[in-house]
Amino acid sequence: MRNAILLTLSLTLASPAFADMTKEELGKLLTELDDRQRNGGDYKALAYLEQKEKDKADVVREVMIFRRDSDDKLVMLFTKPKSEEGKGYLRLDKNLWSYDPGTGKWERATERERIGGTNSRRSDFDESRLAEEFDAKFVGDEKLGKFETVCLELNVKPGVDVAYPVVKLWVDKVNHNILKREEYALSGRKMRTAYYPKWQKLYSESKKAEVWFPGEMRFFDEVEKSNSTMVLMKSIDLSSLDQNMFTKAWLESKSR
Amino acid sequence: MDRVVLLVRMAIRNLLASPINLLIGGLILFGTLVFVILGGLLDSLNQSMQRSVVGSLAGHIQIYSSASKDELTLYGQMGSDPDLKAITDFPRIEEALSKVENVKMVVPMGVSGALITSGNIVDTTLEKLRDLYKARDGKPSPPKLAALPRDELDRRIVSETSHMRQIIKVLRGDAEKAMTDMLNGTAVDPYNLEALRRVEHDEFWADFEKDPYANLEFLENRIAPIVTDTSMVFLRYVGTDLDKFEQSFDRMRVIKGTPVPRGHRGFLIADLIHEEQMKLKTARRLDKIKDARANGRLIATDDELKRFVKENRLQTRELVLQLDGIKTQALTKSLQDALGSKETAIGPLLSELMTTTDENFDQRYQQFYGLVVPQVQLYRVNVGDMLTIKAFTKSGYIQNVNVKVYGTFAFTGLEKSPLAGSTSLMDLMSFRDLYGYLTADKAEELKEIQKQTGAKTISRENAEDELFGEGAEVVAEATAGVIDPDTAMSGAGRKLREEDLVRRVYTEHEFNDGVVLNAALMLNDPTRLDETLARISKLSDEQNLGIKAISWQKASGLLGQIINVFRALLFVAVAIIFFIAMVIINNAMMMATIQRTQVIGTMRAIGAQRGLILSMVLVESMVLGLLFGGLGMLAGSGVLGAIAAKGIAAPNDVMYFFFSGPRLIPHVTGAPLIIALVIILFVTVFSTLLPAVMATRISPLRAMQADE
Repeated sequence: MRNAILLTLSLTLASPAFADMTKEELGKLLTELDDRQRNGGDYKALAYLEQKEKDKADVVREVMIFRRDSDDKLVMLFTKPKSEEGKGYLRLDKNLWSYDPGTGKWERATERERIGGTNSRRSDFDESRLAEEFDAKFVGDEKLGKFETVCLELNVKPGVDVAYPVVKLWVDKVNHNILKREEYALSGRKMRTAYYPKWQKLYSESKKAEVWFPGEMRFFDEVEKSNSTMVLMKSIDLSSLDQNMFTKAWLESKSR
Repeated sequence: MDRVVLLVRMAIRNLLASPINLLIGGLILFGTLVFVILGGLLDSLNQSMQRSVVGSLAGHIQIYSSASKDELTLYGQMGSDPDLKAITDFPRIEEALSKVENVKMVVPMGVSGALITSGNIVDTTLEKLRDLYKARDGKPSPPKLAALPRDELDRRIVSETSHMRQIIKVLRGDAEKAMTDMLNGTAVDPYNLEALRRVEHDEFWADFEKDPYANLEFLENRIAPIVTDTSMVFLRYVGTDLDKFEQSFDRMRVIKGTPVPRGHRGFLIADLIHEEQMKLKTARRLDKIKDARANGRLIATDDELKRFVKENRLQTRELVLQLDGIKTQALTKSLQDALGSKETAIGPLLSELMTTTDENFDQRYQQFYGLVVPQVQLYRVNVGDMLTIKAFTKSGYIQNVNVKVYGTFAFTGLEKSPLAGSTSLMDLMSFRDLYGYLTADKAEELKEIQKQTGAKTISRENAEDELFGEGAEVVAEATAGVIDPDTAMSGAGRKLREEDLVRRVYTEHEFNDGVVLNAALMLNDPTRLDETLARISKLSDEQNLGIKAISWQKASGLLGQIINVFRALLFVAVAIIFFIAMVIINNAMMMATIQRTQVIGTMRAIGAQRGLILSMVLVESMVLGLLFGGLGMLAGSGVLGAIAAKGIAAPNDVMYFFFSGPRLIPHVTGAPLIIALVIILFVTVFSTLLPAVMATRISPLRAMQADE
């Protein structure tokens, strides 16, 4: 089945009739892009975050990401540097909470929250939900470096809260990985450009297929042009997680 | 000398001989009067503003790092704080400055701001409940709760649970109303409705205790988002050595609570902010109506007061959401009795109470504070509360700090000034935590993490070539790694123990030994400010202190320039008046000279030299100027004195700062009088020069011919 989907995707992306796809077909395409990255079971990762800003010291963080995609749950726990240890985020339902062990306080965060003070967002670490959140339209074929890509424009669906309502995606025609992503405000102003230069795959027992994830993400701020963020996935583990992990109590317990 | 006396006597005799002289005198009198009054007012305004700026934040002199990107402006520049480089060796700088003659005190500072968000009423109620459960179950919780006995914690849990159920009842009522409005196009989110239906049933609450944390999370994630009225307060604060601040800024006084104990961490909220932004909106509007009525305004005729009454009548929800079941019942009963009403719902009863007119206002005001306020939380932040301040650090990431609120404060005379009353005070240690200065240790730790990761930096310009150019490989296999949070965390991380931090007493050395952004210098003799500034500048060069010293006026930025702008306008206005006066005086004196041709000719005939004639005309005009100018000065001083007897009331709250209090008391100062004298002498002599020269050229022959 998975192979069939990948074959369909491969044929779809390579097809010259791509521009003629209906809205539904483009939606299906987004579903398939999501599905490549979806595990269905649990997921944990150790990521390195680095933010560079003009005239400022680099912001450097290590964060552990825990996901249970079947329940749309996410926990992020900062482990380095020492001053950030124990801080974290918890996503439950449509709520994103941030926690600081220094104050013992939970606060609601929005989708625009800058994770750990970098230019990354919650959605950069969470399960891909392109089909759920956006409608797509074809823009054209483009070459990105040596890669042949298809460029799509995505517009947020009504009532969905995302960090950026308009997104442009450049998808590799051969390997079907998203290589570039531009994000726009509703006014049309370009806010952020993301590059995904490394895609890694890991066999998932729960999915019984390979799961793709971006091993490296580079974000360039389009408002403050001198600011950039790098995210490196240092390690991934798809084994099962503790049942009680996605609670406030669990995150609190890590800094006791 | 005899000649001067003679000339003055002649001038006085001739003074009133011509109506032209009276016209000229009138002009000089008017110009001088205007100059002395406006000059005196401006001088008084300048001195008042100096008292406000110096006494509330700036001190006489401010110092900051000379390597700063921006200039220091204490009241911000176009809405943002200046980018100042941190002073890292403050003890050395303080020691050097303390030795400068005329420097009385050096107060370390740093100005910043933060947004305080407290979540909506459901969030705050659930947070209280969660803390109570944690305290009951022996989990880490706020020290105040952890110290309570079990039965008190149980009692509070019951009370907060009852409050939560009351809130749900109100939300359910809102949902019902929205459903009945559906015909009008208002939809109810079925997702919200489902959650509300679940929590309104007794079963949910009967089982609540079985797993309180899971049930709290359900309420936090499904019910709290339904309420959208999250409140935010922007707090501007000065991090400082609070003891030194109190000693130096003697107009500061604590309004509610107590000063922060010596050497402790703590926060003092500006009382104006506490009243304006942290008080229940309904109560604040009632206070404003009361003040306005005391100043003669009427609800019946004043549009703003009418609006306040309307808002109070319609916005009773913030009160209703604060009440639990027991309080609702009690308040309903007491309001029914007080208003003589048979209404049984609390919302309409509160609306009725808030329907205030000029006739019933005083009674309703008393009823509100007597019956409603004891049942609700009047201020969002109270003295003794722990305030969580969330600020962007210097590096751009967010830092949170808990700091205890010891009280509120204001500066005497500036209680209503938004400029002086908008800055709160914080201890220097908490300020440094929020500022997030990167110490050498922290920088080394970050460098090590970067080194271990070995990530390559890529520039924006070359990103696509480097990442996707020839040789780029996008796809790679991964191997599963071991990720264990318990082993990854050092355990020596940032575990601020609230109780320890609140209790800890810091030495003066600890307060001084750290980053500051600027410092206020108080002087023994403020009149020697320029001289002291020059000494500090020299000292900084000699000892390589790397600091820049500026006056209070410069430190107050645009605000400090306002007086200079007013002064420039005054000089322009006075220059115009005196220019017109000069033209008129010149013409008048020409005419007067022509009229006196015969007299001057006769004087010349009997031996008067040209020098005497020149002196006569000039002295005459000088006497005229001095006499009427003097009258103008006297009149101006009299007018200022009369104004000073009552003072000029500040027309609005902003002017409290410029007036350094509710009234400006003007006084006659030397400067305008001296300047007026110089201007008068210049104008009269300059405008009389040509007629005087003309007079010296009158010959006796011509004078006699004119007579024929």
